Amino acid sequence: MSYFDPGFIFLAVPILLLIYNLVPKKIRPIILLVFSFGLFIFISKWLVVFLILSILTIYFVANYLDKLNKKRNELINEEPDNKKAIKEKYKKYKKRILILGIIINVSFLFFFKYLNFFATNTNLLLDLFNIDFNFKIMNFLAPIGISFYTLEALSYILDVYYEKIEADKNILRVALYLSFFPQIMEGPIARYSDTAKDLYAGYKVTYNNFCFGYQRILYGFVKKIIIADRLNFLVNTVFDNYHTYSGATILVGVIGYTVMLYMEFSGTMDIVIGIGGFFGVKIKENFRQPFFAKNISEFWTRWHISLGQWFKDYIFYPVSLSKRMKKLTLKARKVLGNRFGPLISGAIALLAVWSLNGLWHGAGYTFLFYGMYQFTLILLGNIFEPTINNTCKKLHINRQNIVYRVFQSVKMTCFVFIGELFFRAPTVKVGFGMLKRIFTSFNLHNTLKSNQLFTLGLDIKDYFIIIVTLVVIFIIVILKEKNHNIRTEISKKNIVIRWMIYYILILSIIIFGAYGPGYIPVDPIYADF
Amino acid sequence: MEKLIEILEELQPDVDFNTVENLIDGRYLDSLTILSLVAEIEEEFDVEIPTVEIIPSNFNSAKSIWALIEKLKEQ
Amino acid sequence: MRNVVKALLFTVILFILIIISEVVLIPGLDIRKNGIFKQANYELLGEKKNTIDVIFLGDSLVYSSISPMEIWNNYGYTTFDCTEAAQVIGDAYSYLKVAIENQHPKIIMMEANVMFRNPRKRKFKDKIAYILKQLVPIAKYHDNWKKYIGGFSKNNWINPDKGYKYITDIKSSKNKNYMSFSNEYEIIPEQNIPYIKKIIDLCKENNVKLVLVSMPSQKSWRYTKHNTTLKVALENKLEFIDLNLINLNIDWKTDTKDNGSHLNYLGAKKVSNYIGKYLKNTNLVIDHRNDIRYESWYKALEKYRKASFNK
Repeated sequence: MSYFDPGFIFLAVPILLLIYNLVPKKIRPIILLVFSFGLFIFISKWLVVFLILSILTIYFVANYLDKLNKKRNELINEEPDNKKAIKEKYKKYKKRILILGIIINVSFLFFFKYLNFFATNTNLLLDLFNIDFNFKIMNFLAPIGISFYTLEALSYILDVYYEKIEADKNILRVALYLSFFPQIMEGPIARYSDTAKDLYAGYKVTYNNFCFGYQRILYGFVKKIIIADRLNFLVNTVFDNYHTYSGATILVGVIGYTVMLYMEFSGTMDIVIGIGGFFGVKIKENFRQPFFAKNISEFWTRWHISLGQWFKDYIFYPVSLSKRMKKLTLKARKVLGNRFGPLISGAIALLAVWSLNGLWHGAGYTFLFYGMYQFTLILLGNIFEPTINNTCKKLHINRQNIVYRVFQSVKMTCFVFIGELFFRAPTVKVGFGMLKRIFTSFNLHNTLKSNQLFTLGLDIKDYFIIIVTLVVIFIIVILKEKNHNIRTEISKKNIVIRWMIYYILILSIIIFGAYGPGYIPVDPIYADF
Repeated sequence: MEKLIEILEELQPDVDFNTVENLIDGRYLDSLTILSLVAEIEEEFDVEIPTVEIIPSNFNSAKSIWALIEKLKEQ
Repeated sequence: MRNVVKALLFTVILFILIIISEVVLIPGLDIRKNGIFKQANYELLGEKKNTIDVIFLGDSLVYSSISPMEIWNNYGYTTFDCTEAAQVIGDAYSYLKVAIENQHPKIIMMEANVMFRNPRKRKFKDKIAYILKQLVPIAKYHDNWKKYIGGFSKNNWINPDKGYKYITDIKSSKNKNYMSFSNEYEIIPEQNIPYIKKIIDLCKENNVKLVLVSMPSQKSWRYTKHNTTLKVALENKLEFIDLNLINLNIDWKTDTKDNGSHLNYLGAKKVSNYIGKYLKNTNLVIDHRNDIRYESWYKALEKYRKASFNK
């Protein structure tokens, strides 16, 4: 099942919209909830139990925390002199409840995603010491989107704990927040304060929202059906048998994978945001022209934004601004100065963020390696930033200069390619093997002579279509980066131009889409994480 | 307020903190610089900035940072 | 109200544009006379009239087990897979009518599994796919745009598959005995029975030899189906070849694309060869390999070989 199934997006969703609009406003959120649970059960069957358990735990934990907050405030009002002591006491209570909530939710995630990884590795260790005991390796299918909704669940109880939001008394609204159907497969990881209220408001689907939604969805289809699905066979073939291909072909496969990932993921986000828009829910953008970033650190604030933001809010700052770390920062600053002092606690927090970020994508050494790779790049970038800045000043290089900016982007993009290479490679060893081949046996001449690039399921016409489509998307991306709101601008044009744009979009998807005999569509990549 | 500007300028010399209003969104202050800033402010003004308050809207301009300090002092 | 009119107008224009692109992407009749290309609803209609001698009716088991190009290469018989994923017997009958009228084949080989498929229990997804194909036939041959780029040539339109779906994936299974003997009979769904009779009658009327056949599949075939099919064959004086009981040297470790459900290219080669041998023994079909009128089959073979070489 994928959001790109025509049966889903052009049949099930319109029927849902129709029913949604016909029923009274109060029932509309219930319709959404039923549809969301229906889809979840359709994909994951009885595993829906775990979603329900998550909903129940965060609902009760949040409300209990709220109760403690109120009690504490009452007590403080009664005896203002004891303020500090009361605060401390209640903080302890609250922490216990919070940790209980976190443990329950994280243990589900651990059970489905990491148990096998740890069992396998423990077995290897046991074998190493000749201990005749092995953990049984079990294969379960995880509930769909567990990595996504677990983070949403945690953010909800943490926000209540920090008193950013109040606990919701309506369990159905909490349920809808966690299970809203366009977000269950690949996110984005929403915050309760961003979507819950609108989700439950039951806004009517207006003509404008309907048109805007489907326009956005069409754009997502262009990315997924024309580009990502077309690259699927090429990427799989190169990564599965890399040793039979020249370095040049491997490079094409690696670039192809990054492009495919970007198109698949951001295309799905277009669909998610489009569907959210139908119901008047503003789901936050998960991509902001990532390849315009100046460095890797900035890249991660533009690619899968919701995940990066989650780690920043709930791991990076809480770790780096904990009492112990603050003391460390102050001490370190006296010794190392303002630039490098905070780097120590920052680096520790960053290490935590990227180990978790890597593991979040899956239990495996490639993902851990991928996380460490990003961590190293970001840390090195930070350490050398002043040096680079000074060097540029001495050499009179203007860092805002367009040439320098292009250089930065190209450099960063190469780092991204290498990162995604390890991300996709079946093992770290294979990753290094591929990297080595790119540098040692590039063989451009032979690659072209033997037409190796055309043995990967794509002919020259396919490459042509990919490049033309990417150029069009690139132009749109540039306009977005320059703060043009393209959809509003299109809607201001006269009807002939507008409709022509839509017709071209639709017909290109139908004619140039990589579907039907001879093509295998990409499975939702992030849904496996 | 002058003291705050001083701290900011020490951390990031190239920015005019009296005028810029998108310190976070424009990536003038990255997350590691924020760490220094928080430590520095807490020491200088004797306040404690909880992690909840570390959001772009509180750190996008010198003015808003000052407002945050004032708010925390009152508590 | 204004919006409704606008939406309607938008849809109407869209359909007109889709129809125009369909016309552009399926060239006119003169191409059909000369070459061979994929047709939407009935692929067979892309073939030159009265050139196909043997028709295979059935579902995905047929299009993954029988490759007409292998039969052409080794025996010179012209055959075609008239198939549909999860084909139901009603659709098989419709396809058969089209095939007989268009091609006057000598032999029809009907895959027996189709008789057991309950049309009501057909998978929702297959139903949607089928409806979509009828509504927007362009979905099936949208790739034809490629044939306009880089010079238009009639050869570009030749279809080398003849209904076969070329798959080289290997997802192995075990070589197990899935055909353990049984006395039981698989039940044919009530609503399928009239169609079986209609198909038998239609073949009789047109003097076409009808053969029942089962394709090797560990998951779709079992002895109870064998018993029922044998009963149908005896009652109607038809031949029945159960390829699941004949030793074709199928190695389920390498010859299946999905753990024993369907064969892949390696398995299809074995089945196609056996079928070719069988057709030879019927003495009803002729080797066309030296016939200049079947030139396009040579071109198709060339393309087929190139495709298999590339994969």
